[in-house]
Amino acid sequence: MKKWILLILALCCTSAKDNSSSDSTSANQVAPVVATKDQAERTLSIIKPDAVANKHIGEIISRFENNGLTVAAIKMQKLDKATAGEFYAVHKDRPFYPGLVDFMSSNPVVIMVLEGDNAVVKNREIMGATNPNDATTGTIRKDFAKSVSENAVHGSDSIENAEIEIRFFFKPEEIYSR
Amino acid sequence: MSKERTLSIIKPDAVGDGHIGEILSRFEKQGLKIVAAKMVHLSPAKAQEFYAVHKERPFFNDLIAFMTTGPVLATVLEGDNAVAKNRDIMGATNPKDAASGTIRKDFAKSIDENAVHGSDAAETATNEIAFFFKPEEVLARTR
Repeated sequence: MKKWILLILALCCTSAKDNSSSDSTSANQVAPVVATKDQAERTLSIIKPDAVANKHIGEIISRFENNGLTVAAIKMQKLDKATAGEFYAVHKDRPFYPGLVDFMSSNPVVIMVLEGDNAVVKNREIMGATNPNDATTGTIRKDFAKSVSENAVHGSDSIENAEIEIRFFFKPEEIYSR
Repeated sequence: MSKERTLSIIKPDAVGDGHIGEILSRFEKQGLKIVAAKMVHLSPAKAQEFYAVHKERPFFNDLIAFMTTGPVLATVLEGDNAVAKNRDIMGATNPKDAASGTIRKDFAKSIDENAVHGSDAAETATNEIAFFFKPEEVLARTR
């Protein structure tokens, strides 16, 4: 329980920091990338190297499609260490950071934009708890993850971070809203 | 037996119906590895170029219209006999003739909207893969 409170605190600090950094550059941005109210909510999902290697790509995407999320973008990519390090920069000072970067660059990953009502929260429900030991039955991590460090999937933790993470991997013209 | 590669496209009907995951599962469970993937919405010009071999056929215009109705998912599948294996997994072009347990039997509605495309020979696979993917986008698996 304590771990969760710490995690939530960490996430709040992160979003605040990311917001302030994007605010400081907003004067240079021509078009706002943040979704408008009438656009479906979006979140970023990554099928991690363990689940790709274990041939769970299809089953994981099925969980999203069967639970009301639309796949609006997909690309498969092998992250180099620099890209993985930049993506997880928020965890830079955490003890698990070097291991996380090594793991995320060990094999190709499948990166997706998922779209739908409450996409961020819904994706987190479908994924289950970060530690598969705590994940409830029927979640992706319960069924496909082996450990807290190799836990099959990543999903954005807030609408703000989803926008940042989507922009990290996709150009607007690579996303197909339906 | 050397590893072979083939191009698969999940067509607009199957993407729209939410069958991406189920279709990819069929490949993964039957010994084919996904080594490249990208979602694209084909322009009419691109679709015409891809299907140029069918240019004189009566169904050509309808095929182009269909293939541009929504995004598709192009993937490269790798494995022993990937071309033939993919065609077995897809089933007959006309879903009415497709054996049970094949993708087209389970997910295709008609011969025109038949859920998937797969290369028909090793040579065409090479050309079709190059049509969608740069060499560096086809990824060696390290685990």
